[in-house]
Amino acid sequence: MLPHMDAAYTLARYWTRNEQDAEDIVQDAYLRALRYFDGYRGESPASARAWLLTIVRNTAYTTRKRGRVDALTTEFDDTEHSLAAIDDQPAGVEVRHDAKETLGRALDRLAPEFREVIVLRELQGLSYKEIGEVTGVPVGTVMSRLSRARARLQEALREKGER
Amino acid sequence: MTHPGFESQVDALLDGELTADDARELEAHITRCPECARLRDDRLALRAAITAGVPSYRAPDALRERVRTALAVATSAEMRPMPRPQRGPLGALWRPMALAASLVIVAVGSWNLALRQAQSDRLADAVLASHIRSLMPGHLTDVPSSDQHTVKPWFNGKLDFSPPVHDLAARGYPLLGGRLDYVNGRSVAVLAYGRRQHLINVFVWPAMPGQGNVPDMRDRQGYHLRHWSTPEYTYWVASDLNATELQDFVRQLQQAIRSDA
Repeated sequence: MLPHMDAAYTLARYWTRNEQDAEDIVQDAYLRALRYFDGYRGESPASARAWLLTIVRNTAYTTRKRGRVDALTTEFDDTEHSLAAIDDQPAGVEVRHDAKETLGRALDRLAPEFREVIVLRELQGLSYKEIGEVTGVPVGTVMSRLSRARARLQEALREKGER
Repeated sequence: MTHPGFESQVDALLDGELTADDARELEAHITRCPECARLRDDRLALRAAITAGVPSYRAPDALRERVRTALAVATSAEMRPMPRPQRGPLGALWRPMALAASLVIVAVGSWNLALRQAQSDRLADAVLASHIRSLMPGHLTDVPSSDQHTVKPWFNGKLDFSPPVHDLAARGYPLLGGRLDYVNGRSVAVLAYGRRQHLINVFVWPAMPGQGNVPDMRDRQGYHLRHWSTPEYTYWVASDLNATELQDFVRQLQQAIRSDA
């Protein structure tokens, strides 16, 4: 009855980093999917998932543009998101994060355009082509975003290891 | 650091996105290049860390329930597009005939209005859905061409009418092409125009006498919709272009249509 809802919710969750916004986006997206269903021409179950994720992603994107979740979303900015910015603990306070926490925090700090490629690739196993379709960018852009996002996550892990 | 450009290649290799030939070549390179080998190992470690530490979520049951209900409501609304006339005013028929007659007129009048409103809402929804669909890769045009003399004949035999096609490039809105779509229970012509990064879809189909002659403008989900009719055709325009420029586009298009007539 409601296929791919975990995938839809996971994407929305990482997009908004907020349970309530994620639920709203999933609900909106399924209603849109109902309306657009006539336009769906895919055959395989996998393409149905990518189609639905596209709608989730666009819903999240337009919701952000409308400003509803603006406060939660920081744009990707090299200066603001430099390595120094990744750890905002007060100096002298010894806080031990395990790798999981570090990674989660680093992922949260990525701009949604970078976070979503990680989620779509690593958690949902989409191909570059499918990710391009979902996010509306060419495959080359998918590749470079994925590499940059991974490099950044890796830096965060390395940072943590050095402390 | 690694040599630039190799990073995303190594990623593509690990993601299984390289062709067999490219994969072999890169693997051979990695055996000779310690930097790329380290990058690959780091990426494998990252992947393991992500698998271990970045969870997929399960949609909460409450959300499933919410969505199921919302879909059921939306589906039943679609199945029953005509609002039912009010029972109350019709019950008044038992009262003196004059009063009864006037109430019937009111009831029928508002029923028609509500019906027209609902029709026009559904139409706007359909146009918007088609517009958004067209933004997905590969959906914008069936016949990509900036030449109106290519686009117009392309519709021949595909539609039961020959839509007017105008290139507005000289006025800052280049024609990008045309496509067929299905809106309002019929095949329609759609012409796509560009303005900087923005797309404008113009939907055209023959006007039905006495239907949808009222110009309409509405904004939803961040998109602008504009609607008007000529005696021959019904037009809907959908775009994310700002309202001022879209108004200008509509004016330019209407001018071009009028100068045709």
